Amino acid sequence: MSFERSARAALADEQLRGALRRATTLFGERRRAAMATLPDWEGARDRARAIKDETLLHLDRYLEEFTANAERAGARVHWARDAATACEIIGRIAAERGARTVVKSKSMASEEIHLNAALAARGLEPVETDLGEYIVQLAGEGPSHIVAPAIHKTRGQIAALFAEKLGVEPSDDVAALAAAARQTLRRRFAEADLGISGVNFAVAETGTILIVENEGNARLTTTLPRTHVALMGIEKVIPRFADLEVFLELLPRSGTGQRMTAYQSLLTGAKRRPDDEGPEELHIVVLDNGRSAMLASPVTRQTLACIRCGACLNACPVYRQIGGHAYESVYAGPIGAVLSPQLFGLARSSELPYASSLGGACRDVCPVKIDIPALLLHLRAEVVGRRAGKGGVLERLAFSSYAAVMARPRLFEWVMRAARMLRILPPIGAWTKFRDLRPLAPRSFREQWRAGLRDQAAP
Amino acid sequence: MTRPDDARRAILRAIRENLARGEASRPDPLPGGSPPDPLPLRAGSSQGVRTLFTEQLAAVGAQCTPVCGEAEAGRALARTLAGVHARRVVGSDAPLVQRLLHALGDGFVLEPLDRLSRDELFACDAGVTTAQWGIAETGTLVLESAREKSRLLSLVPPTHVVLLSAGCICESLGDALARVSVASHAITLITGPSRTSDIELTPVVGVHGPQTLHVLLLEEA
Repeated sequence: MSFERSARAALADEQLRGALRRATTLFGERRRAAMATLPDWEGARDRARAIKDETLLHLDRYLEEFTANAERAGARVHWARDAATACEIIGRIAAERGARTVVKSKSMASEEIHLNAALAARGLEPVETDLGEYIVQLAGEGPSHIVAPAIHKTRGQIAALFAEKLGVEPSDDVAALAAAARQTLRRRFAEADLGISGVNFAVAETGTILIVENEGNARLTTTLPRTHVALMGIEKVIPRFADLEVFLELLPRSGTGQRMTAYQSLLTGAKRRPDDEGPEELHIVVLDNGRSAMLASPVTRQTLACIRCGACLNACPVYRQIGGHAYESVYAGPIGAVLSPQLFGLARSSELPYASSLGGACRDVCPVKIDIPALLLHLRAEVVGRRAGKGGVLERLAFSSYAAVMARPRLFEWVMRAARMLRILPPIGAWTKFRDLRPLAPRSFREQWRAGLRDQAAP
Repeated sequence: MTRPDDARRAILRAIRENLARGEASRPDPLPGGSPPDPLPLRAGSSQGVRTLFTEQLAAVGAQCTPVCGEAEAGRALARTLAGVHARRVVGSDAPLVQRLLHALGDGFVLEPLDRLSRDELFACDAGVTTAQWGIAETGTLVLESAREKSRLLSLVPPTHVVLLSAGCICESLGDALARVSVASHAITLITGPSRTSDIELTPVVGVHGPQTLHVLLLEEA
């Protein structure tokens, strides 16, 4: 289905739009309240962006430093150019250890490479343990929001889902639903032999990975099983341990409107002594999958500064109406509209750069000041540049005629008079499909002006 | 399938080539190395920092009881555990925790941490640990794995009781980050009980981790 058709379907779904309206509004209010608790919000944004820019300009160096320090601390670092390789590496780690139950904490990168399907194809049973991810996994769906995967579902829908899949009494009580999930997932944690997590930040200086969460499922995932696999995009690295401070000031406030999420796990290698707590092995999979190509220009490079807080989704007038699934990509909203075409190819998501009003709300809320509208325009230009053949010729002809007419006042007046007489509107179909173009006034301003002067001169 | 080293070389080459396309010249990296030395404890755990810490603990839904000396800490621990109807209690290997637990008296079953199976651990009612640092601005507790076996006890049982020395409260996250040591393979920052808002953004506590977080703030007697 195209973006246009799935967006239409979403717009017709009253339940979905109600859920989205409530959730994104609440997210926005909480974010603004939390922002006010940081004395210098703008300063923190500038600092975080400067750190990201510096890192990206020397990404090769910082990745090598991170790898060396993580391996010195006992981790194994694997490199994956693409999704298939990353799935292969993780699948092999699981197979070599005879893993059966795999518990997972939230990881957008794992969604991006469709890791669950790859593991299932090997006969493994990956279990999502973040409540929102667990809900969408039970429903056979994907996440519709970076931070709140089940944001599109009402409690009634979740109650019905749990009654069907878990055999619990249907209940509209959110605490009872959460308790049912806790109980079921505890059994999976008890038997899990492999844990897979994402990574929020990777510190080059120390080889530390940081995982941010609220529920405790990421802590269980990275503590109980014998083997822990952490999957990270190449852009997650930051230079110094002390740099974590500014990112931990920005991420919880922007994401959920908290000063601090309930848990941060800072993991440096595997356990050191046999009687230490935690996994015996830590494997870190470093994923490129199209990211390195974004380094080629300063405009696209800023995509890699994203810390996946989801604030731009909540602020976006398009996302707020249609939700995440309409984007037909694991990454939705404004950041998804710029990330998806770059990761998965313009051919597959050529409509996404147009899924925006270019109002700039996304840029205004971004904690690392990514100029998403500029990126959208850049990608639109690429879409147009790639379009070959008849459409392209007609479009070029239209714009060169437009330029010729606009540059000649006499010709312009003549063309406009003809257009008014014949009631012709310019043929801009894609534009007028969703917008009304006002009809031309019966008389132009110049004509009215001249007539007005005559009328006044008459008496 | 490429060999592992090939993948690493290919990614690093792709990064360098793409950066070279976008930048005529790359500026030198920022001076690397270790971060600046930690500042002296700002306001040195003064009364103001302590007050801010307890206010923030309350704001994130954690309980806090100030106690003076070990004897009072022991009595407060017993009251706290009884208050949540905890029977099966497991403590970390911190000497202070062990002393307090063994002085608890009747009514509690003390489980030995190093001999617990996963299922037995899941059946415990409360975990007792210390925290190495507190962070006043956010009401956060910092637990370092090299200092104590506290990873599972602070996470799995429905109640987590934490002993924190009042002299170890940092003002900010930055202060705390400058003090922890990555000699710990796991550093855990805990701010309030486990929580979720994944269903209609309605807050629920205790989804995977503890529902109750109780801090005993220890002043020297």
